[in-house]
Amino acid sequence: MRKGIVQLVAIGVVIGVLVTLVAVLFQWLPTSASEEFDRIQDIYWFATWISIVIFAVVGAVVVYSVWKWRVPLDDDMDGPPIHGHTGLEIAWTAVPAILVIAIGIVSAVVMSQNGRAGNRPLEVNAIGQQFTWKFVYSDYDDLTSGELVLPVGREARFTMTAVDVIHSFWVPNFGQKQDAVPGIETTILVTPNRTGEFEVVCTELCGLGHATMRAKARVVSQAEFDRWVQEKRA
Amino acid sequence: MTDVSLHAEALHDHHGPPEANQSSRVDARTLGMLLFIGSEIMLFGSFFAAYFFVRVVNPSAPPEWPPEGYHFPVFVAGVNTAILVTSSFTMHWALQSIKRGQRAGFLAGMVLTFVMGLAFLLTQVVEYVNVGFNTGDGAFASVFFGLTGLHGAHVAIGLSLLGMVIIRGFRGHFSPEHHHGVELPGIYWHFVDVMWIVVYATVYLL
Amino acid sequence: MTPSHHGTPQAEYPAHFEPPHGPTWRLLFGPGLVRGGWMAGAGFVFGMLLVLALRWWWSWDPYWNTEVILAVAGMVTAPIGFLAGIGSFDYWLHYISGRPTRPEDHSGHGARSWKDYFRVNTDHKVIGIQYLVTTFVFFTIGGLMAMFFRAELAQPGLQFVDSQTFNGLVSVHATLMIFLFVIPAFAGLANFAVPLMLGAPDMAFPRLNALSFWLLPIAGIMFVASFLAPGGAFGAGWTGYAPLAEGQPLGQTFFNMGVQWAGASSIMTALNFLVTIITMRAPGMTFWRMPLLVWANFTTSLLVVIATPFIAGSQFFVMFDRIMHTSFFTPEGGGYVLGYQHIFWFYSHPAVYIMMLPGFGIVSEVISSMSRKPIFGYRLMALSLMGILVLGFSVWAHHMFVAGMADWLRVPMMITTLLIAIPTGIKVFSWVATLWRGRIHLTTPMLFALGFVTMFVIGGLSGIYLGSVPIDIAASDTYFIVAHIHYVLFGGSVFTIFAGIYYWFPKMTGRMYSERLGKWHFWLTFVSFNATFFPMHYVGLRGMPRRVFDYDSAFGDLNFAISIASFVLGASFIVFVYNMITSWVRGPIAEANPWRARTLEWQVSSPPPIFNFDEIPQVVGGPYEYGVPGARHAIMSPSKEAQEVHA
Repeated sequence: MRKGIVQLVAIGVVIGVLVTLVAVLFQWLPTSASEEFDRIQDIYWFATWISIVIFAVVGAVVVYSVWKWRVPLDDDMDGPPIHGHTGLEIAWTAVPAILVIAIGIVSAVVMSQNGRAGNRPLEVNAIGQQFTWKFVYSDYDDLTSGELVLPVGREARFTMTAVDVIHSFWVPNFGQKQDAVPGIETTILVTPNRTGEFEVVCTELCGLGHATMRAKARVVSQAEFDRWVQEKRA
Repeated sequence: MTDVSLHAEALHDHHGPPEANQSSRVDARTLGMLLFIGSEIMLFGSFFAAYFFVRVVNPSAPPEWPPEGYHFPVFVAGVNTAILVTSSFTMHWALQSIKRGQRAGFLAGMVLTFVMGLAFLLTQVVEYVNVGFNTGDGAFASVFFGLTGLHGAHVAIGLSLLGMVIIRGFRGHFSPEHHHGVELPGIYWHFVDVMWIVVYATVYLL
Repeated sequence: MTPSHHGTPQAEYPAHFEPPHGPTWRLLFGPGLVRGGWMAGAGFVFGMLLVLALRWWWSWDPYWNTEVILAVAGMVTAPIGFLAGIGSFDYWLHYISGRPTRPEDHSGHGARSWKDYFRVNTDHKVIGIQYLVTTFVFFTIGGLMAMFFRAELAQPGLQFVDSQTFNGLVSVHATLMIFLFVIPAFAGLANFAVPLMLGAPDMAFPRLNALSFWLLPIAGIMFVASFLAPGGAFGAGWTGYAPLAEGQPLGQTFFNMGVQWAGASSIMTALNFLVTIITMRAPGMTFWRMPLLVWANFTTSLLVVIATPFIAGSQFFVMFDRIMHTSFFTPEGGGYVLGYQHIFWFYSHPAVYIMMLPGFGIVSEVISSMSRKPIFGYRLMALSLMGILVLGFSVWAHHMFVAGMADWLRVPMMITTLLIAIPTGIKVFSWVATLWRGRIHLTTPMLFALGFVTMFVIGGLSGIYLGSVPIDIAASDTYFIVAHIHYVLFGGSVFTIFAGIYYWFPKMTGRMYSERLGKWHFWLTFVSFNATFFPMHYVGLRGMPRRVFDYDSAFGDLNFAISIASFVLGASFIVFVYNMITSWVRGPIAEANPWRARTLEWQVSSPPPIFNFDEIPQVVGGPYEYGVPGARHAIMSPSKEAQEVHA
């Protein structure tokens, strides 16, 4: 019996290690370029460790059972009449409950942090239409641009809408996404914390040009941002 | 297989199925009708949901309801409500009559119910013609026609069921022992009536 | 029911139909597919004339409106004509016209030749097989569409199709898989097995059952036919969001209407199951002695009856907006765009449980009999099904976390979404505990059941990620979702459908499938399935959105690999089809109970007698009492045993 438990745990560890290698050897997440995505990535890793453990446990029991107790197809005997085990059933109700509640709490905290606008965020209106994006900077006399330029380190609040069908605003490296919906205004906050060139991708099927509805996004220093604003206004 | 053996096999098979066990006090056909009505209630639910979204959730919903410029005849619809509610009473009377073997009362009740249901529907059609707005005239009109139209369609279904009862009733199909075919359409008719009260209250009164 | 005695060769016709004269007359005017064909045409003409007449009367110019005429004549009156033509209304029309009832001669019941599968048949076993064959035809069509767009996606840019066709392919693929495969395939398996498991001679409403089946090909033809519409197939996804759906060309109407037919079929079947399970259980079969497949179909049927009308409503509103210019979802007229999503998802979330719970039931049957152990924690397994049913109605807005709905709604929906992992987890752990110390027979159904358990855990875990609002905000509408969907629907539902088909194949056909080919099928499928869908988690998180024909070139290599893997997955299906056909035609004759299982369907012959049982069995114990000496689930011939006792 003890030998069996050791073997079971060994299988579980092997599965766990393999899955962990898959989780860490590939870069599953794009490089985070925003504070919001940093927080999201933390929850992602929390969920990943929990998932690895659960998958390893289930996988180990399946593999071990088939290995130890497999019989030829013409075997006639019944197995032991084990109907249940109250303690075990309570355990596997309570433990997942605790785990999902933990994920829920962590997520709610991040939700509130990612949704709380500080004072004086940079206001950007994003308007989606088939099949192009338009960004309007209401802080700068409604300066309009087809390219999204943001100053690093400053929170930006996007107020979005669409003129025809539903579109969705997403910059993968920012980790934030929200639909742009005709008839209402939606908001999302992004605080870029890394300069670079990124892409705005439409993530709601909007018709024939959905796949090509993209825009450039650039995060630059505050100085360069001011320069860009001046040039656009000239 | 030759005709003969097919025939012999057919005779052998036609001893029929064993009688199923009745594992519930609830009659199967009644349960079926109740479940069907359950799904119908959910269908109305989706129309009420649309109404709720357009009037309450929509951030640009008009402050007054009905919005500026739309009027509908609350009184006429109220009279129509009275007609439909009365028809439920005549339906009940019809069912009670056949349970007691009073064919005249049963048939009279059924015909009255049908006539009142038809009157309700015709009144609604006239109302639609004279209401002053069309389906293409905005969200208010959409939910108005949607809810009342859905209900009207169900009145039509109910009238078809009642019609079947009347045809079979005149052909002598029902008796104090066998009146399931009256009771189940009756349940459906009562559902149509109660649903109208909810629709009327929501659309015309609230 | 009085048996009828007839010496005339009228055995093929239902008793209520006046036998017509010669064979040609019978072919043209007797109930059947030929009459169904021309009555469909007549129905179309009737609908067209009706629309023209009404439009002329109301002076709606122009009188000819293709969309309205197609919607009414092609998608309402023609199908009704077809259904009337094949004879699904014949008995009821006779009944409601008040004519005297004819004694039932059961000629409309049961399969004596292959032709019986192509007509209106009241036997639940026949209907079950009709469902299964039909759904697999649409699985093939939907799968070919997937191969097609995977070929397109193997490289960035457009190579083979134009954008509208691409959108049409992904939309119709999903629509067919959901409405014409997973949901009705489970209905078909349940149709076959549940009455037998209950000890009932048939379903509560056999004629309604027959009608439910025939509604299905109508829906499927509508969806596929949309490719022929001017402007192409509906291209707004299977989710058909307004306002995109409202501006789509004519093909969208095929989606709106097809969903109604599929939904009606689903609701009628569910109603039938509920009444059957509640009122027709064998004596001694309390709810706590029902097999878990029955529990699963009971809860699924409740979901169907309650939720399906909401998708009907959502499609009605889109049709009204398109055809009658209403403003349910058009902001210019005061409509509320997000209303569509709320109404749609209020069905479509329970729909995913409709697509999974019967599979849970199948897996319980297979794992128990193939491990020769009782299901671990039977009561909690039944209760967890009920828990999923109830919770399943409270999570719909987790499909809308990025939709722009009211902020405050997100936290409650996140909580209920995460909580639903608990009853689901209970089930996974119980299956795995059933394996523990069992005597495990690694047959093909068992392989698929075990494959299901592991793959569904992956799909469920990716669902936990998505239940967290911030993670969902990053991952929503990307290929991460496509990966999640396919792990739970393919690795989940489809695996259980395969498990069920292999498991009940000997019972349905009286022959045994090839175990060798079955194993090949499983391993080919399992490996290529993972190779196809696991990398999608990666490309999704890294930045590839869904429903796109073009993508960042950085994803090119992986997409190419995924496409190749998907072709292998498609090819693996050929092994299955070959096995099914050859085994059904000339496989070894199967015994009544090849798995030595304990539920009632295994206690009768393979295939079962035409009326299932000579005598309704008496249930005396639970259905999974393996290893308990002397335990019996039921006494098959109670009167005979009673005689033996008293003798």
